[in-house]
Amino acid sequence: MKYIRKEIDGGIGITFVMDEKFKTGCLTVRFITKLGDDAAQNALGISVLNVTNSKCRSLTEFNEKLGMLFGASAGTFVRKRGDVQILGLSASWVSSRYALEGVDTDQQMIEIVRDCIFSPDAENGAFSDKPFRITKKDLLDHIGTEIDNKRNYALMKAAETAFCGEPAGSACYGTKEAAEKITASSAFEAYRKILETARVEIFFSLPCDRPDAIQPVIDGFKQMSRRPQDIDFRKISPAKETLSEVREDMEMQQSKMVMVFKSGLEDVFAMKMMSIILGESPVSRLFVNVREKMGLCYYCVSRFVSSKNTLMVDCGVSEKDTEKAKEAIAAQIEDICSGNISDEDIERAIALLETSVESLGDSQSSYSGWYFESFCDGYSPEPEEYLANFRSVTKERIAAAARSLVPDTVYILCGREGGK
Amino acid sequence: MNREIIKSRVGDECIHVKHTSGLEIFISEKPGFSTSFAVIGTKYGSVHTDFRIKGEEEFTAVPEGIAHFLEHKLFENEDSKVFELYAKTGASGNAYTTFDRTCYYFSSTSNYEEPLRILLDFVQKPYFTQETVDKEQGIISQEIKMTNDNPDWRVFSNLLKNMYHSHPVRTDIAGTCESIAKIDAPLLYRCYDAFYDLHNMVLSVAGNVKADRVLEICDELLRISPDRKAEVRFPDEPETVVRPQIREKMPVGMPIVQIGYKCRPADRSGKLKKHLTAAMACSLLTDECSELYDRLLDEGVISSPPGGSVFAGEGYFSVIFSAVTDYPERVAEAIEQERERFVRDGIPENVFKRIKRCGYRDILRDTDDVESTAFLMLDACMEGSRPYEHIDIYAELTAGEVRKFMEEELVISNRVLSVIEKEVEDQ
Repeated sequence: MKYIRKEIDGGIGITFVMDEKFKTGCLTVRFITKLGDDAAQNALGISVLNVTNSKCRSLTEFNEKLGMLFGASAGTFVRKRGDVQILGLSASWVSSRYALEGVDTDQQMIEIVRDCIFSPDAENGAFSDKPFRITKKDLLDHIGTEIDNKRNYALMKAAETAFCGEPAGSACYGTKEAAEKITASSAFEAYRKILETARVEIFFSLPCDRPDAIQPVIDGFKQMSRRPQDIDFRKISPAKETLSEVREDMEMQQSKMVMVFKSGLEDVFAMKMMSIILGESPVSRLFVNVREKMGLCYYCVSRFVSSKNTLMVDCGVSEKDTEKAKEAIAAQIEDICSGNISDEDIERAIALLETSVESLGDSQSSYSGWYFESFCDGYSPEPEEYLANFRSVTKERIAAAARSLVPDTVYILCGREGGK
Repeated sequence: MNREIIKSRVGDECIHVKHTSGLEIFISEKPGFSTSFAVIGTKYGSVHTDFRIKGEEEFTAVPEGIAHFLEHKLFENEDSKVFELYAKTGASGNAYTTFDRTCYYFSSTSNYEEPLRILLDFVQKPYFTQETVDKEQGIISQEIKMTNDNPDWRVFSNLLKNMYHSHPVRTDIAGTCESIAKIDAPLLYRCYDAFYDLHNMVLSVAGNVKADRVLEICDELLRISPDRKAEVRFPDEPETVVRPQIREKMPVGMPIVQIGYKCRPADRSGKLKKHLTAAMACSLLTDECSELYDRLLDEGVISSPPGGSVFAGEGYFSVIFSAVTDYPERVAEAIEQERERFVRDGIPENVFKRIKRCGYRDILRDTDDVESTAFLMLDACMEGSRPYEHIDIYAELTAGEVRKFMEEELVISNRVLSVIEKEVEDQ
């Protein structure tokens, strides 16, 4: 394995990983921008790139080209990370070494990605009508169907309340109302702005040592006059003075409950260890007690959102048992607050982290995620350095992390007992 | 025990051993990878609800959802819980039950020997008490309710109920809150004894492992047991569907549709080829490069391509298309028109070649991943074929065979449309 990292002018970071054990190539270009009112515009602007470009102006032609490159795939994505919106274009293909008939798939795919980014299907300051219409409908459908996955919907609504007034309270695809107002020219304008002002992170991986193959994409950025914005990847969210409790009724059999806790403690490693012990594994307090002993839930898990210094606990539970579950979750947090933490708890948490770090080189996507998250968090991407931060966390620091939690929001998506 | 080395045409290989205990073992050493992944599966799923073992005259009918219930309970040993044992080694384990199998697996880095011992030990050591069975009913009831709230599952479940008259595939894998209430410890032992017989099971290990060590651990832990030869009885299933359309309202943002063609079940020898042929037909009928797809997008009927998949097992075989759309009938009609066009005009060579190339990518991706490699070997054995055999059959597949499948198996009179409609209008 070979790892090269460099940063060039204009707020652009490039990570290259050469790993001979893979047969595929992988390229991800991430645009990082502040999450705000233009979330829907940005989402649409990036998503159009997935449909056509100026050299393949029909979707059929675009897909045929990918198909003939041994089923290469290209797709866009949008996600939220705290107060930040991440917009990306990702491609994966059978690498040249394994392609039949001597086709240089690596070079051809990089050129396709370059064309999508720098030469989208647009004229007169607007995306072309057909790709724009298709993408706008897709965005509206996506926003409309956020309700389908009840667990994700509950988490989204809980974040909306917990981070009200902060960028993180916004949905990463924006609102239906904002999406409906987007025009082909406003989306194109939003995309131009992203190209010029977003922080850019490029991840590129091949089974052979061709780091320069990415040059066409780098040249594209070099030809632009960029003004990259400053990005604040971590901003502690203040706790509300009084707990917000929100209930929403829906015709379904199981209720979903999300409890949000804020913390002002600047100790992310202890916070993460506390969350692992509380509810991130099948030996966690929530799994063993709330699920296994009490039989209240099929899932009851915690997650530490480092970008907002916030802990989220979510579970699926019968409506009649929501109070019981709430008390049981609080009791498990209280137990950690009191310092009831064993050496075994810590050893298991470390073992879990070690396993996740040791396996990161087993897929190109995990490499990509690892280097990107390290960049955002400002940590060394060296696994041993990363793990050392956790190994030095003491029981006292974990208990202090639990004691720092302030209940902020409880959101319940309320089903009807004995429904259909 | 003979070691057989099986090689693929894309450069991968694995070792196959038929262990003296009766267990089929597959191992793929993958240099350069850190992860080790092992999965042990039994050919026992939710459809196996009526069975007898060697020497019995009468068949036993058991409650729906018992295979899945058994999977949950096997994680509890008499003196400890399996998750705790795994956690001490840094491995993470889990399990799942499908219509026709139950599998237990773990993933680990640096140390695979201890987790492998844990896996092989607990699947051979059932421990059920009425108290722990009662407790599990609460957890599984919550899982059933969660699944019932999932519109993607509901549309599929409704499709199967309207496609199959009597085959147990029409029943949900986890059963119902009522059916699992009938499960007790003796019934669990009865099912365990019938199906968790090493002759009915497969172990597949891939990644950062040494075949010799894996086999030594197997020798140490696998118990020689008699082949119980569980025999499963399925009710007669007509070729026709129950009814051509089913609709249900749920709180969803947009209607979800599944269009299922009920096909004839595959015989054991032709199973893999039929599966690959059907998969190729799916890819052709949902081809993102087709004029049809372009038109549906342009008309606003869909905003992303319909998905196509093959759903097959013992006594059932179907091809299912899925879409999120305000116009379910229009999507069904378009797929049918496309099928008719291919049957009438044949499949153009360039289109067939392109779709085949996409399949080649998927094959390479599978072997680029430790977990996929383990499942590739397990699936092949469970389906009665050999690892990598699919690559050879896929390479030989002709457009004529796919066209013939579309003509003979995708019959509109055996088509079912399942729709989840929006419960309330936007406010």
